[in-house]
Amino acid sequence: MNKLVVVTGASRGLGLAIVKQLLKHTVIKYDVLAISRSKSDELLQLEEEYSTSDKRLHILNADLLKLNNIQALCTKMVKDYGRPYALINNAALGFDGVLATMHNSQIDELLSVNVQAPILLSKYLLRPMLLNRKGRIINISSIIAKTGFNGLSVYAASKAALEGFSFSLAREVGKAGVTVNCVAPGYMQTDMTQSLQGEKLESVKRRSPLGRLATPDDAASAVLYLLSEEANAITGTVITVDAGSTA
Amino acid sequence: MDIESIIRKTLLEVAEMADCTLVDNIDEHTVLLQSGLDSLGFAMLVAQLEEDLAIDPFSEMEMAVYPRTFGEFVAVYRQSLSQRD
Repeated sequence: MNKLVVVTGASRGLGLAIVKQLLKHTVIKYDVLAISRSKSDELLQLEEEYSTSDKRLHILNADLLKLNNIQALCTKMVKDYGRPYALINNAALGFDGVLATMHNSQIDELLSVNVQAPILLSKYLLRPMLLNRKGRIINISSIIAKTGFNGLSVYAASKAALEGFSFSLAREVGKAGVTVNCVAPGYMQTDMTQSLQGEKLESVKRRSPLGRLATPDDAASAVLYLLSEEANAITGTVITVDAGSTA
Repeated sequence: MDIESIIRKTLLEVAEMADCTLVDNIDEHTVLLQSGLDSLGFAMLVAQLEEDLAIDPFSEMEMAVYPRTFGEFVAVYRQSLSQRD
C-alpha cells in the first residue's frame, strides 16, 4: 500500500522539489497531498502528469495564515484520503527587513504561518499517526535558526521555535512510533531567497566548503531519507543541508 | 450504543494499543490519571473518538478544559454530541 505524505508549501522551491522526489521514488510508492496557497505552473504540470496514471498527487488549496481553518482542513484530509504516514511542514514566509521598522502585522503573519500553522497541522495529523503507531513529522527549519542573519531576526525566531518544538514533540510521541525531525537547509536559490544576489550571494558560495549553494533537491533528499525505514532510529534532531557553510 | 459505552469500548481498545493496563472497575469517579492510561494513551483515545464520532469536544471549546474524572470525560462528549444534534 502506498504511503500518504502531506507536504505544505508545495507549489514552489523546496516544497515542489520534495513533491517531485516523492512521486519519482521507486523503492517506496508515496501518494502526495500537496497543500499550497496557489497552484504554480510546475505544480499544475505535475498534477496533469500524475492524474493520468494512478492519481498519486492531490492538490489542496489552503491559506495556512487562516489558523482557524486548519483543524477542518486536517479532518477533511483524513476523511478523504485516509491516515497520513507523514507530514512535511515546509510552508513558510520569509519577509526580510530590520526589526526596528518591520510592521507588526508582518511579524504576526510570519509567526502564524511559520510556527503556529505547523504546530496545529502536527497536532491534528499526529492523531491518525498515533492510531497507526507509525508516522513521520519533518519540519523544515533553516541554518538561520542557529547562525542568525542580518534582517532575518523574526524568521530566525520562527525557525528556532520550530526546532525546539520538534525536540519536545519527538520525546512526546516516540513511544507511539512517530519520529519528529528537522531539515535545516542553507541558502538555496529559490524564490524566497531572491533578495540574496550579487556579491552577497557570491560570498556565501565562496565561503562554502563545497564551493556552491545547496539546492532544493539536496534538501529534499534529506527529507526523503528521514521518511525511509532506514531512518527509523532518528528522531529529535536536525539534519543540516548547506554544502558545509556552517561547518 | 450510548456514548459512555462507546467511550468504554474505545478505552479498552486504545489501552491495548498503547500497552497500558487499566485499573479494574473504572467508574464515573475514577481519576483519569489513575486509570492506567498514560497521557499519550489519552491522546490516542481522543483521536480514535474523533475518527469514530467526527467530534473533538476539546478543540470545539472556547476555553481549555481538562476533565479530571472518567465521569467528567464522558460528560464532555455527551454535551458535545447534544450540541451537534
